[in-house]
Amino acid sequence: MADEDETKEYRWESGYEKTWEAIKEDDDGLLESNVADLVARAKRKRAALKDTGAIQLGMMRHLFVVVDASACMFLQDLKPTRFLCVLKLLEVFVHEFFDLNPISQLGILTTKMKRSEQITVLAGNQKKHIEALQQLKDLSCEGEPSLQNSLERAMNGLKNMPAYSSREILVLFGSLTTCDPGDIQKTIKSLKDNNIRVSIIGLAAEVRICQEIAKKTGGTYNVLIDDHHLKELILNQVQPPAVAGSMEASLVKMGFPGASPIVNDGTSDSSADHAPAYCLCHIESETSSLMGPNGYNCPQCGSRYCELPVECKQCGLTLVSAPHLARSYHHLFPIKPFIERAQVRETTHCFACAKLFVEAETNVYECENCNQIVCLDCDLFIRETLHTCPGCASDPVTAQMKTN
Amino acid sequence: MMNRIFDSLIAFGNAHLMQASHNKLAIIACNSKSTKFLYPSMDGTSRSYHNRPGQYDMFAKVDSDVRHGLGELILNDMTDNDSTKSDSLLGGAMARALSYIHRVQRELSLSHQLKPRVLVVSGSCDSALQYMTFMNVFFTAQKENVVIDCCMMDTDSGLLQQGCDITGGQYLHIPSVAGLLEYLLWVFLPSPSCRSKIVLPPPTKVDYRAACFCHHKLVDIGWVCSVCLSIFCKFSIMCTTCNTEFKLNRPAIVPAKSKKRARIE
Repeated sequence: MADEDETKEYRWESGYEKTWEAIKEDDDGLLESNVADLVARAKRKRAALKDTGAIQLGMMRHLFVVVDASACMFLQDLKPTRFLCVLKLLEVFVHEFFDLNPISQLGILTTKMKRSEQITVLAGNQKKHIEALQQLKDLSCEGEPSLQNSLERAMNGLKNMPAYSSREILVLFGSLTTCDPGDIQKTIKSLKDNNIRVSIIGLAAEVRICQEIAKKTGGTYNVLIDDHHLKELILNQVQPPAVAGSMEASLVKMGFPGASPIVNDGTSDSSADHAPAYCLCHIESETSSLMGPNGYNCPQCGSRYCELPVECKQCGLTLVSAPHLARSYHHLFPIKPFIERAQVRETTHCFACAKLFVEAETNVYECENCNQIVCLDCDLFIRETLHTCPGCASDPVTAQMKTN
Repeated sequence: MMNRIFDSLIAFGNAHLMQASHNKLAIIACNSKSTKFLYPSMDGTSRSYHNRPGQYDMFAKVDSDVRHGLGELILNDMTDNDSTKSDSLLGGAMARALSYIHRVQRELSLSHQLKPRVLVVSGSCDSALQYMTFMNVFFTAQKENVVIDCCMMDTDSGLLQQGCDITGGQYLHIPSVAGLLEYLLWVFLPSPSCRSKIVLPPPTKVDYRAACFCHHKLVDIGWVCSVCLSIFCKFSIMCTTCNTEFKLNRPAIVPAKSKKRARIE
């Protein structure tokens, strides 16, 4: 939508495609196969567009989500109200975000009554954010939103973050106006100077200032069509973005706790590591301060934590486990899109799922590296979920990882 | 010895099919050269299988398909004199298994949901070069709610231990291969939902430490490249995986001018 400003045609200039012409009935007068075909085609097109090759992605992300809580969020064009719909989708978003980016941190802000309030600080703990979102449901939406105040507050939080992380702000804006104390252009300039990327999702109509903010900081601006589209737009933000400009790379010190009791090289874990101890994650809350032998010890200072990933409060070391880092590895080795071919008589079965190819399936897909044929469903499954080609993994030459 | 292992596996497969009429079975074999679907067979030729009188037809089919498939796989391995050495292609076999599960779930109607699980019976040690494939498979299984169990003969495999832990499955290292069938029927035949009511071998403590990319040694505290997330045991100037240079976080050197001024004053 960002580049359509200059070349948009008006409806009477036939600038809109006539989607009803694409649907045709097949011989029996049924539309099902045609519709399924169109859906599959759309999925493949979208998946192929996303695959842009191995570019630098921001893996460690610090993201602030700004939720508009002004009076217009009580409108019922999204059921039950805009605000509740957005909160529900944000819970899903938080879950998927930490699933896909385990070492990232998230913070939530709201804006109403011409001010902005911080609901949660930047943290990597999924449960805290989801609880905070659930408590937000009782919040009353009133007043006017303030784009500048919320951006300034988010910027204050992000300024102190290390340079190698990707700093982002996601704004869910439902109003058509904003009430700012100063010049928003100055805010935009300082956002750009601090390498912060702002993406905005509009819930009402297209607002010019949002378009400008997104364009200047390198983010995206989208306005939703309906609630399914909103879900799609929000979940698009889960994927790590390509690095805008130059991101300083550096080596980050991280701890990997959780050694087995008897280590192979002769040294055994001291009994102190598994003695019951208070965990540092719950020590501040009066009600639930857990004690027990289970948990992870920080290798640098020895403090105990219940869950990973966490930042050690005592010594500041980030504690992760190897699978958390491995979850992001598939972005670094993306699979090249499969080539579409017409069905050949020799290959009777799909390589991945052993399905018999029927006559109705016209197109099959072939991997460039291993030349194995898979069906359409397996192609989508491989691209979206599995992230490895079964053919390449089953071939002794291509199965070996390309490392130094 | 191998015959006894195959007999045990076929008996286990048939025992699973016997539990309920809607149970489904698929068997995939792999060696260092290829992976193959043993059952359901992808051959397409309907082989005539002789079943003993009174034997359920499906059991006879499983038996004959598996034996035939294994025979072909072993013959292919022996005749192929390719010199490429590789570890056992377990990752590829698991990837195909997950695709098969995904397909079968799509084909069934919504009322008949499967509770899928994968049992890996292996004797090979870990292959560090297939790490990516294994991790992708484990995360996919976690997302699709597939439980991965593992029955290891001979050696232990740290990667498969991690996989069983991630997906909530059972990992077992068998002390003697002669009792394979007994272990399979005892530990792995019950479905995950009723495992909480049965006394099973205790879970092993999984070593989640990462191995550094330079020496493949396990590290407690490591240095992680912020671009490609590869792990190193020592601080270095450049990342070997993605070739990015790192900024050294040193304090700024005091310029010479101010030193002169201090001396004069």
